[in-house]
Amino acid sequence: MRLTGHLCQICQKEERIIKLRLQWYQLVLLLQNTRALVCAASSLQSQVLTKQMPLGVLLTNRHYRSMPTHGIGRYRHLLPKALPKKKKEKVQAKQIKAATATEFGVFNVCVSGYDMTLVEHYSQYIHNLCNHLDIRVDESCALPTKTTEVMVMQEQGTKMYVDAVLKTHERIVQISEMKATLFPIFMEVILKNQPEGVRLCLKQHTEADYQARFKTRPELEGLLAKINN
Amino acid sequence: MAAPLSRLCRPLWRITTTGTLNKGVRNVSSSRQQNVKTAGVASPWALHGAVCLQRLPVVSQDRSPIEEEFMELMHQMELERSLLSDHELRLLEDAARMSRKQEEDYDSDEEEEDYRDKEIVTAQDLEDIWEQKLKLFQPAPRSQGVDEKDMGSSERCLADSLILLVKKDVGSQKLWLLPQIQWQTGETLRQTAERALASLPGADIKATFLGNAPCGFYKYKYPKHIQKEGSVGAKVFFFKAVLPSHKHLPLEKNLFAWVKKEELQDFLKPEYLKQVRRFIMAL
Repeated sequence: MRLTGHLCQICQKEERIIKLRLQWYQLVLLLQNTRALVCAASSLQSQVLTKQMPLGVLLTNRHYRSMPTHGIGRYRHLLPKALPKKKKEKVQAKQIKAATATEFGVFNVCVSGYDMTLVEHYSQYIHNLCNHLDIRVDESCALPTKTTEVMVMQEQGTKMYVDAVLKTHERIVQISEMKATLFPIFMEVILKNQPEGVRLCLKQHTEADYQARFKTRPELEGLLAKINN
Repeated sequence: MAAPLSRLCRPLWRITTTGTLNKGVRNVSSSRQQNVKTAGVASPWALHGAVCLQRLPVVSQDRSPIEEEFMELMHQMELERSLLSDHELRLLEDAARMSRKQEEDYDSDEEEEDYRDKEIVTAQDLEDIWEQKLKLFQPAPRSQGVDEKDMGSSERCLADSLILLVKKDVGSQKLWLLPQIQWQTGETLRQTAERALASLPGADIKATFLGNAPCGFYKYKYPKHIQKEGSVGAKVFFFKAVLPSHKHLPLEKNLFAWVKKEELQDFLKPEYLKQVRRFIMAL
């Protein structure tokens, strides 16, 4: 039993040696092939290649083990480093810049009306005008649509019934650091191009305006009240 | 809005940064400052503040033929690409239900719960009611029926912006000018312009001034026989203002004119016109 085991070990060892030798011969053959190719291709660089150089010099950085095509499709190392996904940060309130002697602070141009296409196109027009005149636009957003029901009193009787439903759309373009010398020109262009049916309003931007855009969370407030009480 | 300017020196100094004005202003500002410090050294140029009062267009401009055609085409394309609205779906359902009722093998039990044996207001009835209401509606007229040539009325061309001109005696002649008045010490040029507007004979016009910075500048020398030691000429600074509404203002016809940009050349002198044209936008 021990003899056979020993023999097995010897066989395994020999196998390994034979395998290694095979690999070595393959490597040599390959390198010789490549060397021949290189010689054939560049005869100008004869100085380097006619010398008897050790085969190790032509060994390249290929990461291949047995298959020559090993790692042929590797591309991940060429892509830029992708940062790990960071969690959504809490939206911070931006500092509202105050007005200086030559520049206005932050103000909102509010465009509102019943016809949504007109309102949106006009607000887009104002935004593009600001981009063209190099005026800094902080934000361009929409406020929630307000629905108005027009109730009409019936001729005979006291009951009111719904006559029409009107939706008021509102868009805001927030502008900051506008030069006081440019302002009259800007205002004139906006006023002259105001479409019919659209209301224009310029307001100073306040913290209250900013907070009004957020939704209230009644459950959270209820729980907080409970904790405090 | 920007902080109100109480001192005179600051607006004059800032004027040098705007592109529309001449280099002559710098001399004036330095001499003005000297005037404040040492009484007695007056500038040879008299300062005037003027107001460019504009009545904004009330209605949109009429479309050119190409624009009309294009608009029609876009409407048609949109209509063909759009989906049916709720109202139109209801119309179709009602029509289908009516046609089903007319058939011989009509079984009223097969109808849905809501539509069995009930007096319902069909979508077509609603449409008829709405059309009736539309006929009662009168939109405002696009032109107030005022003669286009009547320069005295501020309801002239509702699609264009108009500028107010005033006939004034300057020296010996009567000239058409933008309303202007001499500057007094201690007030800002914008206040001068506001005073110029308020001092017009006629209805008191409430206008909104757009900003503290002037929009234009004009310099002229007095004729030789008027020029004295201290006065060479006058410098006029223009400020823009906007009329809030286009209601008819009772202004005297011969003294006032509401004028479009193209018609300005019939009223103003060439040199004056050249400077004024630079800041009037015909949009």
